[in-house]
Amino acid sequence: MGILSAHDFTVTARLDDAVVPAIRGLSFDLAPGKILGLVGESGAGKSMVGRAIAQLLPPGFAVTGGSLSFEGRDFLAMAPARRRALLGRAIAFIPQAPLSALNPVLTIGQQFDEHLARVGRRSRAQRRERALTMLAAAQLPNGATLLAQYPHQLSGGMCQRVLIAMAFASNPRLVIADEPTTALDVTMHPQIIRLIADMQKEHGTAVIFITHDLRLAAQICDDVVVMYAGRAVERGPAQSVLSAPAHPYTRCLQLANPSMTERRALYVIPDQMPSLRQLPRLSGCHFAPRCPVVIEDCRRSEPPNMKVASDHVVACIRAETTRQISAPSPSIIASAVVERPLLQVDGLEKRYAEGSRWFGGLRETVAVKSASFSIAENEFVALVGESGSGKSTIAKLLVGLEQPTSGRILVGGQDLTETSTQARALRIASLQMVFQDPQSALNPRRRLASIVTQAMEAGSRHATSNERQTRAQELLSEIGLPTDFTTRFPAQLSGGQRQRINIARALCSLPKVLVADEIVSGLDVSIQAQLLNLLVRLRSELGFAMLFISHDLSVVRHLCSRVLVMYRGEIVEQGPIETVFTDPQHPHTRALLSSVPPDEPAAAWPIFATP
Amino acid sequence: MRAISRSLRSPRVMIALGMILCIGCAAVFAPSIAPHDPSEQNLVSLLLPPAWASGGDPAFPLGTDSLGRCVLSRLIYGARTAMTVAVFASLGAMLIGSVLAHISGYFGGLLDWIIGRAVDVWMSFPPVILSLILMVGLGTGLDKVILAIILVDWTRFCRVLRSEVLIVTRRDYVAAARLLGFTHWQTLIREVLPATFPLLITLVSLEMAIAVVVEAILSFVGLGVRPDQPAWGQMIADARQYVYQSPSNLLFPMLAIFITVAAFNLLGDGLRRTLDVRLADIGR
Repeated sequence: MGILSAHDFTVTARLDDAVVPAIRGLSFDLAPGKILGLVGESGAGKSMVGRAIAQLLPPGFAVTGGSLSFEGRDFLAMAPARRRALLGRAIAFIPQAPLSALNPVLTIGQQFDEHLARVGRRSRAQRRERALTMLAAAQLPNGATLLAQYPHQLSGGMCQRVLIAMAFASNPRLVIADEPTTALDVTMHPQIIRLIADMQKEHGTAVIFITHDLRLAAQICDDVVVMYAGRAVERGPAQSVLSAPAHPYTRCLQLANPSMTERRALYVIPDQMPSLRQLPRLSGCHFAPRCPVVIEDCRRSEPPNMKVASDHVVACIRAETTRQISAPSPSIIASAVVERPLLQVDGLEKRYAEGSRWFGGLRETVAVKSASFSIAENEFVALVGESGSGKSTIAKLLVGLEQPTSGRILVGGQDLTETSTQARALRIASLQMVFQDPQSALNPRRRLASIVTQAMEAGSRHATSNERQTRAQELLSEIGLPTDFTTRFPAQLSGGQRQRINIARALCSLPKVLVADEIVSGLDVSIQAQLLNLLVRLRSELGFAMLFISHDLSVVRHLCSRVLVMYRGEIVEQGPIETVFTDPQHPHTRALLSSVPPDEPAAAWPIFATP
Repeated sequence: MRAISRSLRSPRVMIALGMILCIGCAAVFAPSIAPHDPSEQNLVSLLLPPAWASGGDPAFPLGTDSLGRCVLSRLIYGARTAMTVAVFASLGAMLIGSVLAHISGYFGGLLDWIIGRAVDVWMSFPPVILSLILMVGLGTGLDKVILAIILVDWTRFCRVLRSEVLIVTRRDYVAAARLLGFTHWQTLIREVLPATFPLLITLVSLEMAIAVVVEAILSFVGLGVRPDQPAWGQMIADARQYVYQSPSNLLFPMLAIFITVAAFNLLGDGLRRTLDVRLADIGR
């Protein structure tokens, strides 16, 4: 008998008087001490199970069918008081955003104590003892000092460790971890994953691990359920599902994810996952519109769950063709790089003064320490490093949103850091930036035509509305959006489409260098693949170089030919991608590289496997 | 624009606009609506009750005051004073306050510091005392009332708008506009102002309510408009002495002030609910 088993579990949402199934017929069985991964892109419904158990479904959502039983008892039919008694004790949660999960005005000790008191530890001394043991188990040294500290005094990784310690403190039988590493720095990922896995083994806890990362799921999970548009499309042992996927979606998702070891073309799943509102209009297999092996029967009715092995279930009638899906072979990525430096950065430095000169306590923070690099024409250079390492500061210095303390930025031999109108004009013409958050980067009150051609109304330029309309249509077709989108507002677009508009705006007056700050970070794998391919195509058509700032090394490996590694404001390593990735010199580069789970589901993740 | 049409559909805004339109019409067409000249004295019919009460005269629908002047006519002409002050004082305060707020919030640094401290100092004077002192210095008159209200109340706009400008200025699209070559002026007008505009209109409508009240207070103490110009505050002050003989004379101007202020506040509230994107989804 499993710890948690779902049978035909259904969640429906009420949207504008229509009742839409957000999760349809989800079934799984989680055995004690096992890890079940719920994987899928955002909006697939993978968080719904955790939310349903925690009684935290969004307004309008309700469990309307099937069963969910915890240790053989029907969890949904249970009296609220009994259900509450289980939560926090027998069932614990590890949240996605550790900082917002802790109360900022209480010390770690107070919150830990409160939690332990609630789960039934009587004496204060006992509770403190238990808290210290758990913190030590979570590899947090100096537990006693930690208990007296407030959440803001700790790093995100430490907060997550505290929360993991708290989750396991009551010896729960089930832990639900919802994207526990997503909000943290990449270098923290392996340690947190490792900690969850170790705690899980030690306590014999069953874990539901919700993630969007297939590679990570392959490493940590025993079983996985792949979700798409509210339905479990594939379910089985992690190794067999991820090394030999039977559903085209799983396969396509893997092929859309850039590889860490080789540069292969990405498989692009067209379009995007249907939203809840679109679901009622779909008939047949929900993946059919995007599926490469679709046949007429797929559109007729929803595919039944079929067994490909005794424990491997797939909802696809074309499962046998899945293995034939492969990434497009011709790689256009290796485009000729002209070895002529276009952008040269020489000893760039940025210091911030803190405190007051007059009242004492003047401190200087060095955000960027004498950075020197160059970018050649048509070259895509990556800038990687953990958050706070100064990557974004370099971007801002390049485009002129911040002024450097010292150093020079040269474009075609001309210094941009001079404060003259010519320098500003040259900078505007040659350097443009693509912002990270497309939501904030697009003026919600402008129509798309006006946004993408905004460069044409700058300064004393006065383009006619006809010229702008024509250019807007050119740009929209360039970035693969329908030309009749010109009259739309940003709010009418999806995240991926907004990011395309963001790119189009920067490209409007054909700059020589793009500075792209984490432009694919917030996007799902299939949308990310579309954008990466778009960037490569645009380069071959328009010709521009790019400084690509990212924390995602596999994306960098795929897109760029050279890499700069930043650590605490300094560029500690730079060179061709292949060299740096296969033979990293600086310890920080090594730490970054080892934080990515291997491509092969069966391969061991070094940092994870070593005891 | 979508927001404007959305707010016009909101019942609050529609009711408020209807009320303001009525008062505005009364003010504009006062000479043709009012049954009498507001300063015409009828010494034979002093302190008449309203026409429907016993002893009322149908020629004076709302009765007469202590000098035998028609209360209804004075109310209608008083609306002129009130609306003129409401419109010009709030627009003037908005202009000064919002220009300074945009400069302060957009450029930041030393400018922001100077403007911020000026507002701090200004706001530490009690507003009623400050406006009384100003009126004593400036002398009475409609233009002086407007000037006094502008000088006292621009700080309100400056404070509230500055924080909104700060938020908008930090959005990436404002930075993007600069990177595309927009001048500071272009960025402020085309990117920042459209985003702060809804708050600006809301504040103007709320300020109109305040201006009506302040004008009434100043007229009440005799420091507002000149005595020959009818104003609601003045009517209250006159009626105060004869409150036992004719309470209705006190009641009508008070009612007029109440309705006008309520209409402007309702408009402000309705606009805030519909124009503010943060409230647009929940409110109403």
